[in-house]
Amino acid sequence: MRPIFRCFVMFLRQISKDGMLYASLAAPLLAGFAFRFGIPAAEAALCGYFGKAAILSEYYLLFDLFLAVMTPYIVCFVSSLVMLTEYDENMTSYMAVTPVGKRGYIVSRLVFPAVISIFASVIIMIIFSLTVWSAPILLITCALSSLLSIAVSLLLVSFSHNRVEGMALGKLTGIILMGLPVPFFLFSGVQYLFSILPSFWIAKLSVEDNYLYAIPALLTSFLWMWVLYGRFVKKLS
Amino acid sequence: MIRVNNLCFSYTKKPFIENTNFEVESGEIFGFLGPSGAGKSTLQKILTGLITSYRGSVIVNGEEVRRHDNGFYENIGVDFEFPSLYEKLTARENLKFFASLYNKHRDIDKLLLSVGLINDADKKVSDFSKGMKSRLNFIKALLHDPQILFLDEPTSGLDPSSSRVMKDIILDEKTKGKTIILTTHNMYDATELCDRVAFIVDGKIRALDTPRSLIMGRGASKIAYTYLDNGREVRTEIPLCKTSEDETLSRLLRENRLLSIHSGEPTLNDIFVELTGRQLQ
Ligand SMILES: Nc1ncnc2c1ncn2[C@@H]1O[C@H](COP(=O)(O)OP(=O)(O)O)[C@@H](O)[C@H]1O
Ligand SMILES: [Mg+2]
Repeated sequence: MRPIFRCFVMFLRQISKDGMLYASLAAPLLAGFAFRFGIPAAEAALCGYFGKAAILSEYYLLFDLFLAVMTPYIVCFVSSLVMLTEYDENMTSYMAVTPVGKRGYIVSRLVFPAVISIFASVIIMIIFSLTVWSAPILLITCALSSLLSIAVSLLLVSFSHNRVEGMALGKLTGIILMGLPVPFFLFSGVQYLFSILPSFWIAKLSVEDNYLYAIPALLTSFLWMWVLYGRFVKKLS
Repeated sequence: MIRVNNLCFSYTKKPFIENTNFEVESGEIFGFLGPSGAGKSTLQKILTGLITSYRGSVIVNGEEVRRHDNGFYENIGVDFEFPSLYEKLTARENLKFFASLYNKHRDIDKLLLSVGLINDADKKVSDFSKGMKSRLNFIKALLHDPQILFLDEPTSGLDPSSSRVMKDIILDEKTKGKTIILTTHNMYDATELCDRVAFIVDGKIRALDTPRSLIMGRGASKIAYTYLDNGREVRTEIPLCKTSEDETLSRLLRENRLLSIHSGEPTLNDIFVELTGRQLQ
């Protein structure tokens, strides 16, 4: 376990040496501030202007969902860029022939960050959420978001050849989050067109307050991971 | 130390490494010699556990590498063909980090000193020249004082003096009883360093012996002479053992007409070409 931990510390050190990555990690905090204070202010202004009782407030939960997913998503994005840099430096292969090992490397770059991002996400939600969340739903949502983000990491690392491509693809993988607004706007069976996206089920879970949706969310996340993992591991060796 | 039995592997559907067998004794410097693309690095990747989808058996230090345990790499040092270093960190920071992954490690300053990098120890690796990176990468493999060293073209692209320093370190490791697997396409390095050499072409071992036996066992020593014939310079080569039978040579000797005469052993390259029909470079 010690080599893996050391390897993780090296991961943090690389982030600290890279202004862009460092700044990215601040994004969830900034977004939290903006959502928490900007959106209710905008709502007040809009309602006053249009003379309505509620315009945005129906979607406060959607803003919250974006915020909950954002932290793991950004953490995994940062982690992917670190992995791509390490790939360019031949470091991924080298780690595999040290006591860290191929599996240890993956743990230190995917699992550790993902687990930490669950806690970070919970804290950010406690501070900045616009709606009231029950503790279990919050925890499950953040954990599922983190799983989803691992899949995003696998996608980014497997399909980009370098850091620049990784950043470009990073914007594209935002599509995976498209499932979040679906339950807010599509009420017929059409919404199930999105059932391949874990983000869709994550949104269903909190919208309908039904724990059962955790099952398809888990299954779809694992499906994505299973599809991508082979390619990811192949690339690393 | 290393035992390879019926090893088969290919990146594609086409057969590449097929039914390969060889053993490396403890304390030996064992060379893979072959042209670029022969499969030397691939073999090393299999031996070091980087490629695990091989068939057959590969035992390194008593463990089947496909199923190695966590302690396996405490005793294995690897120097890849291309440097694997954190570019944003200094040389010393890199070594410190890698040292921290092992249970034991050597003195970092001594290692830096041994390859002439001590004055650059606190420079970022991104500011290093190619040769400096190679040297740093090389001592990184020695950091934890491993029992077995895998060196993939350690001297390629180095200036002669750095190359000399590195070869001396390799020989020094051997005297400490380390087992060393060396990959190269440089016949001089192979001849000088290796106890035994395997000729590799297209993923297959075509010959395996000590450099001396390979050279002596095959082509005999030769002599080459030149002379003027009708105003044109002519060069002739004959085996040393056929000297007395060469009438032309006898006549030239009698008539004092030789322009030059040399004798020489074949090089490992000559033997390589003879056995495999391929050039090393
Ligand atoms: N990751 C890979 N995927 C597919 N083919 C590869 C890969 N690595 C090497 N090869 C091919 O395998 C052959 C042997 O390569 P390599 O072992 O690097 O040769 P050498 O080290 O002797 O120059 C080459 O034809 C090379 O193109
Ligand atoms: Mg090679």
